[in-house]
Amino acid sequence: MSEKILIDCGTSYTKIYHIDQRYYEVIPSREFRQRNRDFRILMATGYNTWGMGEVQVNELITLAEGGLRLIPEESFTLLDCGARDVKYITMDRGKIIRMDWNTECGAFAGQVIELLINYFDINPRELPPDSEKIPVVCAVLGMTKMFDKIAEGVPYPRAFMGFLKGIAWNCYHLVNKPEFLYFSGGLCENKAFLHSFPCQVRPLGRYVLLEGLKSFYEDPSRLKPLKETVSKRTAYDRHSSQ
Amino acid sequence: MKKEFNKEDRRTVGIVGVPIWEELQKYVKKGDTIIDLDDALPDVSVEDSYLPKTYCSILKRVTSNAITLAQAGRLHLVLADVGEGKCDGMRYIASFLRGLLPIPLVEVRNTNSTGWGYPICQSQHPLREKMELIVDTVSKPLNASIKLQKTAPVCGFWGVPPSDFALLELFPPDTHIYGWTRCMENKTPANHELELEVDQGVPTVFFSQNFCQRSALAFHLARKHQGLFVQMDHHLTKSIRAMVEAFIKFNVS
Repeated sequence: MSEKILIDCGTSYTKIYHIDQRYYEVIPSREFRQRNRDFRILMATGYNTWGMGEVQVNELITLAEGGLRLIPEESFTLLDCGARDVKYITMDRGKIIRMDWNTECGAFAGQVIELLINYFDINPRELPPDSEKIPVVCAVLGMTKMFDKIAEGVPYPRAFMGFLKGIAWNCYHLVNKPEFLYFSGGLCENKAFLHSFPCQVRPLGRYVLLEGLKSFYEDPSRLKPLKETVSKRTAYDRHSSQ
Repeated sequence: MKKEFNKEDRRTVGIVGVPIWEELQKYVKKGDTIIDLDDALPDVSVEDSYLPKTYCSILKRVTSNAITLAQAGRLHLVLADVGEGKCDGMRYIASFLRGLLPIPLVEVRNTNSTGWGYPICQSQHPLREKMELIVDTVSKPLNASIKLQKTAPVCGFWGVPPSDFALLELFPPDTHIYGWTRCMENKTPANHELELEVDQGVPTVFFSQNFCQRSALAFHLARKHQGLFVQMDHHLTKSIRAMVEAFIKFNVS
């Protein structure tokens, strides 16, 4: 019998919730695609979904739904910093009052940070917190400025910390400078990055989108408006899939 | 040497924006064919060589349509609104497009203030169909077989006709149209007061084309009415689609 799962298939990693066994798993997305296990994907979200899943829900909807499930306050701002992009929602009593999905200037923030951690072979906990922020346009272009600093003689841990602060500064301004921010995504485990924000940040972990899918799985009535307005394929999809 | 419009036998007039109805009907009565140069034409590709790469997709389309069709002998006159009923961009473009075209370009300013009403905007038809009807009725009356029933709005779309109508397929039934598109149907494209009005409490998406001056207005109104501000360039993208879907999912009851 097929194993029933929910997936958040991101650019770098796929987050899986095994419904019957009730546990989470994280594996590189490239490995997930190569696996031969007998999965039945009931619901899917994420950039790399590409037709997988009996029901597909876009990332902003699962982010908002996951936030509603995990956050006790009625009003909150929740930022998801993924490998490829940055997106956020601000909710007030169940309604979205602001949101954005920055696929350009936030491009590859998470992925670049992970690549640099591996490249420098550095523990983020050991980065000097008093490093000066490096103003960056996005992670990709920001790397050149960081390496310029290193070429000027700045130690690479200090330059990298300045780079992290630059990325955090961009995210902070994207979400309209709140005093308090909930945070989602793989970078929740990077304390140096979280401490780079000029506001209070509470990490929710990397399963927030999966929590959104779980909410829809457990209460399918919450998907009703989706069936009416979202699930239908538009001309854009038809064109894209040709 | 420009071709003289009056010497052509079967003439095609290309319009930009919403020229004055009465003026347009003079051409219609003479048997001229009217085409909307703001629309995507199936056999004309948009060239990047006439305008900057980062520029309004609609005006790039207008410019390519006019030049391509005129050079092919398939367009004989351009009637372009360059006043407050269209935009500054078209006024600047008209100032040099005239020199690039082998046909006449007539600049017009539609300052009509007598509203015809906007029953299509408030009707029961799906949003995309409503938009197509409004665009079609710039130069011809609504087909008598089409019945319009007024509905209560559950959602709103504010803005201009988008470069990609796939955006409109995301909206639920009984979405009402506001903004410049409603001014189009009302035949008062320069009615700024009407452009600013929305129904209070109706979750509304405020749309503008990228690089359009109306973006400032769309952004401001979205903040004022707690709506969603979205911009699009050529085509509907995954992130725009996701934002509109999420807004409708959580804000439209």
